[in-house]
Amino acid sequence: MTKELENKLREEVRNLLEKGKVDRVIGYGAGSLRFAATPLIISDKADVDRLIINPFIHNNLSVFLPDVSGKVAIVAKECDARSIISLVQNKQIPRENVYIIGVPCSGIIDLGKVEKLTGLDRDEIDDISWQGDKVTIASAGGAKEFTAQEVLADSCLGCDAGGFREFDLVIGEMKPVAADKELIRKRIKDMEAMSPAERWEFWKNEFSRCIRCYACRQICPVCFCDRCFVEETEPQWISPLPRWQDNLIFQAVRMMHVAGRCTDCGECERACPVNIPLGILTGKMEDIVEELFEYRAGMDKDAPPLMAAYQPEEAEDLIR
Amino acid sequence: MKKIKKQSVRGLLEKWQKDFSVFVPSKASGSSQMAVWDGQDLAFLDRNRNTVVPPKANFLPNIEKMFGFRKEEDGYVLEPADEDAPRQLIFGIHPCDARAIAIIDMVFRDAYEDKYYLSRRQNTVLVGMACAAPYDNCFCTSLGFGPADATDVDIMLTDIGDSFVIEEITDRGKEAVAGAKDVVEATPADEKKAGEVKASARAMLSKEIDTDEIAKRLPAAFDDKSFWEEIAAKCVSCGICTFLCPTCYCFDINDEMLKDGSGARYRNWDCCSFAVYTRMPAENPREEKWRRVRQKVYHKYSFYPELFGIIGCTGCGRCIRQCPVNWDITETLNNLPAGSAARTEEKQKPS
Amino acid sequence: MTIADISHRKRYLAEGNAYLPHIAVIEKIINETPTVKTFHFNFKDEKLRKEFTFESGQFGEYSILGVGEATFCVSSSPTRMDHLECAVARVGKVTNALHRLGVGAEIGFRGPFGNSFPLDYMAGKDLVFVAGGIGLAPLRSLIWNVLDNRAKYGKVDIIYGARTPRDLCFKYDLEAWEKDSSVNMTTTVDREAPDWTGNVGFVPAVTEKVAPSAKNAVAIVCGPPIMIRFTFPVLEKLGFTPAQMITTLEKRMKCGIGKCGRCNIGEIYVCRDGPVFSYEEIKSFSSDEV
Repeated sequence: MTKELENKLREEVRNLLEKGKVDRVIGYGAGSLRFAATPLIISDKADVDRLIINPFIHNNLSVFLPDVSGKVAIVAKECDARSIISLVQNKQIPRENVYIIGVPCSGIIDLGKVEKLTGLDRDEIDDISWQGDKVTIASAGGAKEFTAQEVLADSCLGCDAGGFREFDLVIGEMKPVAADKELIRKRIKDMEAMSPAERWEFWKNEFSRCIRCYACRQICPVCFCDRCFVEETEPQWISPLPRWQDNLIFQAVRMMHVAGRCTDCGECERACPVNIPLGILTGKMEDIVEELFEYRAGMDKDAPPLMAAYQPEEAEDLIR
Repeated sequence: MKKIKKQSVRGLLEKWQKDFSVFVPSKASGSSQMAVWDGQDLAFLDRNRNTVVPPKANFLPNIEKMFGFRKEEDGYVLEPADEDAPRQLIFGIHPCDARAIAIIDMVFRDAYEDKYYLSRRQNTVLVGMACAAPYDNCFCTSLGFGPADATDVDIMLTDIGDSFVIEEITDRGKEAVAGAKDVVEATPADEKKAGEVKASARAMLSKEIDTDEIAKRLPAAFDDKSFWEEIAAKCVSCGICTFLCPTCYCFDINDEMLKDGSGARYRNWDCCSFAVYTRMPAENPREEKWRRVRQKVYHKYSFYPELFGIIGCTGCGRCIRQCPVNWDITETLNNLPAGSAARTEEKQKPS
Repeated sequence: MTIADISHRKRYLAEGNAYLPHIAVIEKIINETPTVKTFHFNFKDEKLRKEFTFESGQFGEYSILGVGEATFCVSSSPTRMDHLECAVARVGKVTNALHRLGVGAEIGFRGPFGNSFPLDYMAGKDLVFVAGGIGLAPLRSLIWNVLDNRAKYGKVDIIYGARTPRDLCFKYDLEAWEKDSSVNMTTTVDREAPDWTGNVGFVPAVTEKVAPSAKNAVAIVCGPPIMIRFTFPVLEKLGFTPAQMITTLEKRMKCGIGKCGRCNIGEIYVCRDGPVFSYEEIKSFSSDEV
């Protein structure tokens, strides 16, 4: 199945490059480690056969769009495609320069979860195969079976794909993700159930680990500011020292800045080397945006960016 | 050589706890790093793989107080931080991370002695553990040592199943083991077993680089802008590869002040992947991403050897494993453009 | 041919903790231009005030405690030690805070760091000083050093330019050098300006016009990178060899002692090995990111 999709994708991409419809293609290639996929930016059709599709293509490739020149075709899962449109809405890239190739996605396997469930490092796992609702993990110790929900990335469990109309081309058939919104909402609900004091304690503990590598910001396609507020020195908004208080403020302000642009693709949490559950924040923020403004980022390229538009009739007491 | 039964290690750690802060590989805080032993968890005795945050954090903490200050009637008064770092013992450090400490020693000893780092260094005992199961991303054997190299630790442990074989490498190591209960002489069979464990770990490593070839190619590769642009294309310029690198030591210096005018100066990790790192009001020599990626590679593989005679990399592979886009430094190093020989020669000879 | 190590890489080995600043008091402030001020300062500690020495070209890390540190050269001459001076352009957090300070305020000083201008190498030679804007600060230390030991050196040419007459720093020095018959002084501004009767034109072009002889001469060039980039070729045309051209490199610095990493260019650290380099040395670096 995957092979078929891959072949179809390669054929389409070869065609696009041959006909000169695009100058470059951003897709996924095989990574250098077991199960890893890596972003692949190509312009030569000789490289087309390096493109892959599998359940490990987690990267949201739209992060590269503002830096890649010319007409660009990009391989996108639906959540990532929404980020592309979000970039268009925010005038970071012109829509006509991007050719969005949709790939069917039933969810991304979270290797961290696999490691936790099996007690193995990914280096000790020989094979991960996904059939229907079951994921089989083979290692020297034998094969173990899990449900898809157990090993899917949290952002995928919360997936609400569907209704996106901006693909220029779809490879194969779009399929629903084995989402389990209850499961993913659980993290948010647990958070909501906490008292403010408990919540403060929770985040204090989480943000105490932050080393301020800014991977969350750098991997984020909609954190596109040329100069981030944390780098401002006059005034200096937060200390450059990775104290938990400043780490928390950094993340809180980042969340406010990406509200209405963030599609909850999950890359920030995946990138975090110290496992801070940023998805709780992006998920909650998406909820709030939808609840208050009935707005979903990246669905309509012509819709004004949420936080950059204001209607006088909006019920907003704050501004008066 | 000596040995200790695994079930007796608790006693040894407890003995050390009396004299040192004992650090062990831990995931208790939610991330993988060296953390103060809680007196309970001993999972690392059976399964000890490289921590995500390297032990360099024990020598160059991400927040280090350099001095405090306060304002009095007749002006500022400085309050120097303690000259003497607390005594610490790091248990289970792998040879690659111990080598990394030896590598950054050179910077902090060079010309001006860095009191903060050296004080921590002097007050630390490194209890190494031979790496029994390297990761796919490891390539330490390409850097002239290996997963069981004991050169840079005070004591080396090798897991032989129910026991550890103990090698006392330095006087400091001997001193730490002296008088420990349940430490007995190892038998020839134990030593043989330890040798087998070490050899099998070495055989597990599959990633390779050729440092001689790299040294030959680097001078000419420097100017190949298109190569670096291509290499850098998928880098997102985050700080993971450098912050988690055991030999990356760059830092920033920042002040903090309280309302009463007192405050302190600290240093924290900094990183050449960030454009702001070298940004000046009018210019930035490395504003472009490909220049920053090139700087990282050259600092480790060209500038560091020129300065200190050793490559600033231990092949631990954290930069590969933790990279959010799986940027792999060995792919860059193994694919450096050959360039023309004449050009290389010209660059190498002093003008 | 080996590279002449003209700037004797003698490393100042700080005793004790090189990260601890010495407290100094601002004694006088001169408004040089709308964005540049010169601060005269002296150490609070009596003993340090007596024993402190430095050489022209060396720099310090100046701090405002609680705000941070910034890097500037010492702009006064070691031949005039009753106080120290630094010239500061207002460009960021620390420099803005420094500009807000008044006489009597306390600052921190770490240093002196880095190498210095090669006085031995310059002795007995004709000297050509070329500076732009606030780049005159390090040169001014050297120029006074030379003029206070006038007999040791040959002819002295000074070519100094700024964007507008308002941007000329150290006007009192310019006047003094103008009057000094042993100095051939040329001042220029980039564009015509009201009430300006002097030279008009960019520093490299004016240097070409002044055309100092390269014979037994050394040119010392300090200023914005773009000015330096265009002045070196002019000097080469006039016959100066790369070994006869000296400059200071400006890089972002924090520690000042070759640890923190950011001023790295190839195998050198500007703070530890510089900031003074001959053009010949610069060309030999394994990186061109100067």
